[in-house]
Amino acid sequence: MIMKWYGFKYTVLWLILIFPLTASAQNSYEKRMEKRQQRWNQLIPTHSQLQYAGGMGLLSGGVGWDYGKNRWETDVFLGFLPRYSTRETKWTFTLKQNYIPWNIDAGKNFSFSPLSCGLYANTIFDEDFWMSDPDKYPNRYYSFSTKLRFHIYVGQGVAYNIPYEKRRLLNAVTFFYEISSSDLYFISVFGNSWLKPKDYLHLSVGMKFDFADKRQGR
Amino acid sequence: MKMIMKNLFILLTVLLLCACNDLFEYHPYDGRISGETGINAKNTARIENTCAGKTHISFIMTGDTQRRYDETEDFVKSVNRRDDIDFVIHGGDISDFGLTKEFMWMRDIMNGLKIPYVVLIGNHDCLANGKEIYRGIFGEENFSFLAGDCKFVCLNTNSLEYDYSHPVPDFTFIENSIGERRAGHERTVIAVHAPPLSEQFDNNVSVIFQHFIKRFPALQFCLNAHEHGISVKDRFDDGVIYYGSPSIEKRQYLLFTLTPEGYDYEVVRF
Repeated sequence: MIMKWYGFKYTVLWLILIFPLTASAQNSYEKRMEKRQQRWNQLIPTHSQLQYAGGMGLLSGGVGWDYGKNRWETDVFLGFLPRYSTRETKWTFTLKQNYIPWNIDAGKNFSFSPLSCGLYANTIFDEDFWMSDPDKYPNRYYSFSTKLRFHIYVGQGVAYNIPYEKRRLLNAVTFFYEISSSDLYFISVFGNSWLKPKDYLHLSVGMKFDFADKRQGR
Repeated sequence: MKMIMKNLFILLTVLLLCACNDLFEYHPYDGRISGETGINAKNTARIENTCAGKTHISFIMTGDTQRRYDETEDFVKSVNRRDDIDFVIHGGDISDFGLTKEFMWMRDIMNGLKIPYVVLIGNHDCLANGKEIYRGIFGEENFSFLAGDCKFVCLNTNSLEYDYSHPVPDFTFIENSIGERRAGHERTVIAVHAPPLSEQFDNNVSVIFQHFIKRFPALQFCLNAHEHGISVKDRFDDGVIYYGSPSIEKRQYLLFTLTPEGYDYEVVRF
């Protein structure tokens, strides 16, 4: 009887001692798991894009991430460039950083971004292009890269926000245009008056597809 | 805030309209050629026509226009004010970075000339896919034409840009050109971008090159660009003078006159 009592008492004590430990172990484990998943989730792109022209190919497709109250976006693109007068068709890769300070509700599920701006770096995959001039040249023979181009742009966009009940794969579709120019054009424009904005400013248009995402609004 | 956005919208719309000319660009090196092509073939035909039978031939040697659009425009205007010149030789480097549009911009400026012009290929014109753009707009890298009794042989000498994938200078072309006996061909002028013994030239063959060009009927002299300053050099101590043209930014050009007795040249400022 005494043994039984002791056994019961120890069991209860044991449970009291153990329970918080197990509970907290479970908790921190789950928390860690959750945190880990959240971190990995952040790597899932929030949108994809399709862009026509813009110095990065005839047509470019890519994915991107928005953050900072959706004001900042980082995109990567793969662009396709037909051969035209050159020897072969080419592919390009672009890393693009966007800043979209305002998003104005225009009613009827539409919203409007009066300004988007940013810069992007583009590299072209072709053996005739180099990052810096090859060793065959005397030192600093050509002091620029034919392979790597930097562009800056300003633009605008109109988004259609798909009503909640109609959402399947996408939350919103944005149509945008951009006016861009690239580093070598800026160098060319410097100290000369013959080149006019129509020569070195170029237009591009595109579409952005925001993925349906429970992280939206974070 | 609303006001700022409205203004911004107007500003960007104006920018958009400004960009309407060559609206979309696929890539600075996209190789999309628009406008006139085959410049050298058309202009050498014009030169041969207008100079046929003439005993005095006046021509300008210039080059290295690169991204000097204003100076090139001024050059064109100043040449157009004269009526005593038969044609212009552009010694190459019509582009600076080899960008597709650079070739077209300079072509459009040079097309303002009333007299015909030809453009040699320079080392800057070989950058990235520039060789193909040069070919597309101006034509073959090696070409010749007859002005009066003088044959002008224009040669690609940018060996450093070609990695042995292509014969530069092209001795087969030179040999064939020596062998080609055109009626009325009495004397010869050689024009190149990079002269022999310069860092662009394949100097393993510079002496051979010199031997080859001296086989042309009555070689008068050679013309080169590339070195950006006026130069008069007997590069091989054999009496064959290489005249180096100033780059366009110097606002000078060389004016040559071929006469039945020989030739004269002067430096002209514009």
